[in-house]
Amino acid sequence: MKSNNLRKQLAIPYAIFLLLFVVFPLLVVIYYGFTNGDGQPSFENFINFFKNGKTVGTLIYSFAIAIITTIVCLLLAYPVALIIAKGAYSKKAKFLMIFVLPMWINFTLRITALKEVLTLIEGNLAYHQFLNTIICMVYDFLPFMMMPLYNSLTKLDDGLIEAARDLGAGKRQVLFKVILPLSVPGIVSGVTMVFLPSMTNYVVLDMIYNSTYIMGSLIGSYFSAYDWHNGSVISIVLLLIILAITYLSNKYTEDDGTSARVR
Amino acid sequence: MRKNSKKLITYILCLVMLMGNMLTLTGCSSEGGSDEDVIVLRVSNWEEYIDEGDWDPEEETIELENGTVICPETGIVEDFEAWFYETYGREVRVEYSTFGTNEELYNQMSMGDTYDLVCPSEYMIMKLMTEDMLIPYSDEFYDTSIETNYYAKGLSPYIRSVYDELSIEGEPLSKYAAGYMWGTLGIVYNPEVISAEEAAHWDLLLSKKYSKQVTIKDSVRDAYFAGNSIYNKDLLLSEEFVNSEDYYVQMEQLLNATDKKTVDATEDILSDIKGNVYSFETDSGKADMVSGKVVANQQWSGDAVYTLDQAEEEGVILCYSAPEEATNLWFDGWVMLKDGIGEDPDKQMAAEAFVNFVSMPENAIRNMWYIGYTSVIAGGEDDSIFQYIEFLYSADPEEEAPEDLVEYPVSHFFTGKHASELTDEEIAEYTLTTWEEQTRRQLFAQYPPEEVTDRSVVMAYFDKEGNERINQMWLNVRCFDVYEYLWGE
Repeated sequence: MKSNNLRKQLAIPYAIFLLLFVVFPLLVVIYYGFTNGDGQPSFENFINFFKNGKTVGTLIYSFAIAIITTIVCLLLAYPVALIIAKGAYSKKAKFLMIFVLPMWINFTLRITALKEVLTLIEGNLAYHQFLNTIICMVYDFLPFMMMPLYNSLTKLDDGLIEAARDLGAGKRQVLFKVILPLSVPGIVSGVTMVFLPSMTNYVVLDMIYNSTYIMGSLIGSYFSAYDWHNGSVISIVLLLIILAITYLSNKYTEDDGTSARVR
Repeated sequence: MRKNSKKLITYILCLVMLMGNMLTLTGCSSEGGSDEDVIVLRVSNWEEYIDEGDWDPEEETIELENGTVICPETGIVEDFEAWFYETYGREVRVEYSTFGTNEELYNQMSMGDTYDLVCPSEYMIMKLMTEDMLIPYSDEFYDTSIETNYYAKGLSPYIRSVYDELSIEGEPLSKYAAGYMWGTLGIVYNPEVISAEEAAHWDLLLSKKYSKQVTIKDSVRDAYFAGNSIYNKDLLLSEEFVNSEDYYVQMEQLLNATDKKTVDATEDILSDIKGNVYSFETDSGKADMVSGKVVANQQWSGDAVYTLDQAEEEGVILCYSAPEEATNLWFDGWVMLKDGIGEDPDKQMAAEAFVNFVSMPENAIRNMWYIGYTSVIAGGEDDSIFQYIEFLYSADPEEEAPEDLVEYPVSHFFTGKHASELTDEEIAEYTLTTWEEQTRRQLFAQYPPEEVTDRSVVMAYFDKEGNERINQMWLNVRCFDVYEYLWGE
């Protein structure tokens, strides 16, 4: 009882932090999102967001970047994570390190370097803005996909794979019927860690000369025009999307985790 | 148990609030109580916009003909504190901070009592004036008989006339603002690729010949100015318009227009520009010019000087042009904030002293040397500023081939009068012999000739309706439009 009480008290510093820097700002954002210039409550900003082809277009453009980045990250990271986790290497941690190492260098530095490399290859970056954006995003977020995948694959019981082989499953069947379903939790957490940040990371677009706005830059431009109401609405829309994705991914991992085990 | 932890949270929250209170209380007492004589002046300026001292005596020493030698070890802010004590016998402590954009500064100021003296751009000064956030400079500040009034004595007559003409709701800008740096908006270009004739027009930004090799500023106002100039190109260049009696007024109206027709037309032009340029850039343009990624970029004259200097060190020769349609005359100026200074006469005195100190010719030269921009100070009786220009740009006729040299008058800046109104002697007094290439390079960017200042327009702060229209236009240019993409117009 006593130790339980102490444990609760240990959480107080974080609770205060949460209250001051997460909950309070969030309330401010919601207040601005649902009021108009005169401080009257209104849904006008919200409706305008969906009526305006430009804001919806920006949402879709950001989605396109995020989805493609996530897919490419997944396709690149999965085989590597699988090889490192299940391969016959004695120094797995060192192998993994090679892929996670770039995270130690500041990402603006990495993008600056990549920019020069891409200029050498392409000549003029302005002709392939979308492609360059994807390349930079993938480069930036690949480690975030790699880590969760690797973790869930190392935890996977080798006995299950052996059992599948003994029962006559081919290599492909083992991969698609056993390994892949069992690593879904890793995939889901990797996807959430890549998808959401890549939707708003406008610094990458700025640095790689893509002048089209994404959600992050749109919020910034509203705020620098002192339009706090419309800026807040976009933040709320993003928040709702994040909530929806988190909800879905939680539900999906729970479902699939159990069903895979039963199967 | 739950009740207990709730209580504890309440206690801690109370403690935090108490501590906050105590902090503000002690803050007050240290300002007003213990050392009453120290005036605290909170100054906010652009990043890297003031001399910070520590010059290398071997490479960075300015020696003027009148015997002045400049090679400071300490920064302007530090020197001001010492000078203030010497001059007024009182201590001042400057709390110096910096900002990155006018909007950032405005957002900080709207939090209330944060600064006393700030240095925003002209349109932000106008916005602050309309919102009644500024206090006027005292009459004493403009009294040229007082020895320490370096600003009033030294301000360029040309810049003074610009300030006097600008007014907001019947009040002249010069009542509330003291200038700091000024310049034009133009194009930095690589003369090996682009001819001076091509760089002399804003539609270089639309040129297919240099498609994806030119950048434009990622700033609504600068982009709008260029777009609007392209829209009105034919009119702005027509002989009839240029020679008309109220040329300046008409041009000013044209380039400050925010009516629907102009904004829509400019939107189309800027959308085309977006498809044609290398990128909208905030800070990468300078480096990309040097590395050769782009061959021209829209640039403010002060940054242009910096870019040209940097490129020169790398062995690349670049030039600067102020397009023939029109150029945007911009300036940054010191304004005193009502929230900060209030009724405190000491603070106001210190703020005005600060403006005077940075306006001392020697200090103006230090700042110009350090940041590459052009001070609004001409020096008045003191000839240091003109000698500084000579120190930087004058060529020795005996050592150079005569065909490489030209006579370059800067009399408009120093006298405020056009060449036609001056005698030959007066013009000669402010004319220097320089290399011909300097008429397209740093000298041209720092001290534009009369024909450029004649087509320089100040872009005022737009009214609410105009602002909304232009911000929406900017989003339209920058965002991907899904409805248009799917169903057309």
